[in-house]
Amino acid sequence: MTDPQPRAPLPGHEPTPAAPPSPRFRSTTVEVEGREEVKVVELPELDPAPWTREAALGVVGQGVPRMDALEKVTGRARYTADVVRAGMLHAAVVRAPIASGRVTRLDVAPALALPGVHGALLRADVPGVRHEGLQLLDDVIHYAGQPLAAICAESPGLAAAAARAVVLEVERAPHAVVPAQALAPGAPLVRGAGNVPRTSPRVATRGDVDAALRDAEVVVTRTYRTPVALHTAMEPHGAVAEWVGDQLTVWESTQGIFNTRTDIASAFQLPLNRVRVMTDYMGGGFGAKNGASAAALLAVALARKLARPVRCLWDREGEQLDAGNRPATEQRVTIAARRDGTLVAIDVDATIQLGVGGWLGGPGRIYHELYACPNVRTRETFVYTHTGAMSSFRAPGHVEGAFGLECAMDALARALAIDPLELRRRNYATHDQVKGRPYSEKRLDECYAVGAERFGWDDRSPVRGDRSPAEPAEHRAPERESRYRRGRGMASLIWGAGGGPPAYATVRLNPDGTVDVLTGSQDLGTGSRTILAQIAAEALGARVEDVRTVLGDTERLPFAPNSWGSITTASVGPAVRVAAELARARLLEAAAAFLGAEPQALEVRESIVRVPDADRSITFAEIGARLGDVMIIATGSRGPNPEKTAIAAFGAQFAEVEVDTKTGIVRVLRIVSVHDSGRIVNPTLARSQLEGGIIQGIGYALFEERVLDERLGLVLNPTTHDYKIPTLGDVPPIDVSWLDGADTVANHTGAKGLAEPPIIPTAPAIANAVADALGVEMTEIPLTPWNGGLTV
Amino acid sequence: MRFSINGASHELSVAGHETLLGVLRDRLQLTGTKLACGRGECGACTVLLDGADGRPEPAYACLTLAAACDGRRVTTIEGMARPGVPTAEGLHPLQAAFMRHDALQCGFCTPGQIMAAAALLAANPDPTEAEVREGMSGNLCRCGAQPNIVAAVLDAAAVLRASASVP
Repeated sequence: MTDPQPRAPLPGHEPTPAAPPSPRFRSTTVEVEGREEVKVVELPELDPAPWTREAALGVVGQGVPRMDALEKVTGRARYTADVVRAGMLHAAVVRAPIASGRVTRLDVAPALALPGVHGALLRADVPGVRHEGLQLLDDVIHYAGQPLAAICAESPGLAAAAARAVVLEVERAPHAVVPAQALAPGAPLVRGAGNVPRTSPRVATRGDVDAALRDAEVVVTRTYRTPVALHTAMEPHGAVAEWVGDQLTVWESTQGIFNTRTDIASAFQLPLNRVRVMTDYMGGGFGAKNGASAAALLAVALARKLARPVRCLWDREGEQLDAGNRPATEQRVTIAARRDGTLVAIDVDATIQLGVGGWLGGPGRIYHELYACPNVRTRETFVYTHTGAMSSFRAPGHVEGAFGLECAMDALARALAIDPLELRRRNYATHDQVKGRPYSEKRLDECYAVGAERFGWDDRSPVRGDRSPAEPAEHRAPERESRYRRGRGMASLIWGAGGGPPAYATVRLNPDGTVDVLTGSQDLGTGSRTILAQIAAEALGARVEDVRTVLGDTERLPFAPNSWGSITTASVGPAVRVAAELARARLLEAAAAFLGAEPQALEVRESIVRVPDADRSITFAEIGARLGDVMIIATGSRGPNPEKTAIAAFGAQFAEVEVDTKTGIVRVLRIVSVHDSGRIVNPTLARSQLEGGIIQGIGYALFEERVLDERLGLVLNPTTHDYKIPTLGDVPPIDVSWLDGADTVANHTGAKGLAEPPIIPTAPAIANAVADALGVEMTEIPLTPWNGGLTV
Repeated sequence: MRFSINGASHELSVAGHETLLGVLRDRLQLTGTKLACGRGECGACTVLLDGADGRPEPAYACLTLAAACDGRRVTTIEGMARPGVPTAEGLHPLQAAFMRHDALQCGFCTPGQIMAAAALLAANPDPTEAEVREGMSGNLCRCGAQPNIVAAVLDAAAVLRASASVP
């Protein structure tokens, strides 16, 4: 359902290049998850002066406690799975047990005969309803785990039992579950047409790579492999759907209520104003919940068929098989340089495993932008396979690409005997080479300096594998070839985290002086509720404790974009600020009338309006009481991004590891991560989010991997036990920090995104550290003892 | 069967296969206890049962048959804060410490983390950091709140020890 690619304009609605400029509407470029989109923007009523680095801010920049933490620690936070509606039924899904073939018999009568079972949903009930571009409940099987039928009963347990009672017979057909199978001559077709999308391979070229490679002084070529990684959000995909007449309400665990509304309305051909989507609390998304899930479509169809509210939740196996993944890649990387380390060419040939669907998220782009290099060519071949569809996963493409690029940079550094950090400094990209534009701000060089200092990069021990004196006696070996060897590595990041329009927010003052911020965004656990309240409090002059952010309802709240691409702070934040500034202007007019002063002479702080140098003031509560039901209310929007300017977040990460050479087990000893993301609105939440991204990166580097039986076509580890994510015992000391500042060219809050950047460099920093420890390059993750990825 | 949940007595007839988690969530609508894996792998459904020695012991509600709880006392996340006190003042020290240390992001695993920590501290009131890491490693968190969870549990342990030492 999710189509994060730019949607094609409707026929007759293509942009007209010669259109006269409108004072209110114009175009702007927005970068989302590495994709650039041209969007129409409505110019805000107000374009406030940027909050500069020196601006004296009172609330923004403070570690205000997470505002919904109380609900979360008491169990009162209501997630989608906690929504209960009167008369609600529960759905369970029958899934395909094979990767390819067709259904020959699907008899739901034994299930319907069980007590408490109310009905079933089959392909014939949902004609034309598609998910990932495929017919929902199709009787052609495209991947193991594909939903084939759904059964509805009075409790989740009854529904699950009834689903098991369905008689299912399938006819097996040849499958292609990995790219090698799908690209082989005569391979079975995954989606009817060829196993490679029409727009694949996607080739992007700058300069003359072939000529540069011919003349290069040093050339390094390696092939890197990255696994399929599973999001494994603690809250699986799911939805509750309820029809009242022709009005549909859907509670869904989603990162985008408006995208979900569009998806549902188009799947069931409903007017948008008949569909209401709500997301209050959300148990993690990481990119896999960017639109209406198949669970939501099933719930909607069942609720309509049975005329009862229906809850449909994926169980854990369904979540691991059929809820998106980070695609596996194979990247053949050739990197060429002069003897002084100056890059002259980067040439990449990548294969990306999409699964049965998804979008063309590849590793190519980071090769074009992270380092200065005049000649770059990336060729990305996307391959459909008989496995669950890929989806965005925290910094999609860049995480995979950073592994290849940053490991290749270290290989080059070794070939040239140049320090890896020094090699990166020598190839510093001063501007956006993809579009030939300046960056709004780029402080990666400072990240290198601060990171090297905090990590102690320059005090490297002269002998690789040396242990610190604190090492346990049993680990200590007199000779250099100790069993436990330590190494250090680093990597850098870039991520287009500038956000952009459209986004709207409303700020209103209640008669008791409290403030509501209303915006159709969502809080995935990122802390957007808190930081948006901080921005409103700052701009309005309110006490932050008096501000409440209301999110997650398409019917009652103005539009805000998906919480993806690290865009929320930089997209919704400025809209909130504009709304609050407009509300403040009105509030001051009212206060001026009550205080007998000029509005522009007033000061406002901590929810009190003062006449400076006079002993007169009035609180927000007093103003509200005087106004009664006359509302101070204003709506703001996100203005356009600066013209001909690239906006990105940057950072550098350093890792120290210890490898047990007897078992091959890699332990991360510490991580240092330094970020350039403009203004940090809330250091407490920023720290949490950075640590979280790094910990996911540690899992990706060390143990996360969907394991397939290529012969059977089945996933062998669709559980949280067999698919290993980091636990408390796996997490090393992590030192996160950021450069103080504000990117005032990017937007008037000075903030850029922070969610995705930390995961980008973690795996290559760790792999480079392992290579440093062992003198053997790692070309494949995860770095499990049994993974053969060794390049000596 | 009859059992006590968070101090309130409940009398229910349950089928033999019904899990404690199903009874809590779907019949009593105590939805603070979460279902995330259903196989005892992630700890999100952790609750406390009264142990033989009077100390609470942790249980995965998804793997515990409701019928096996006959006559027992069950504590869920809803029973951790002082009843009738919806504000931070009435919180259990663990809840307050999780808030203080921002030991959560999406919050979905948080009830299970807090219940597992309560069981850990009941058995070992003065754990080392390594003991917290080991003892809580069965509770998964995908957002990556682990560093803050460790800090919160150690902090709460100190608070609980201090309050226990008050005569």
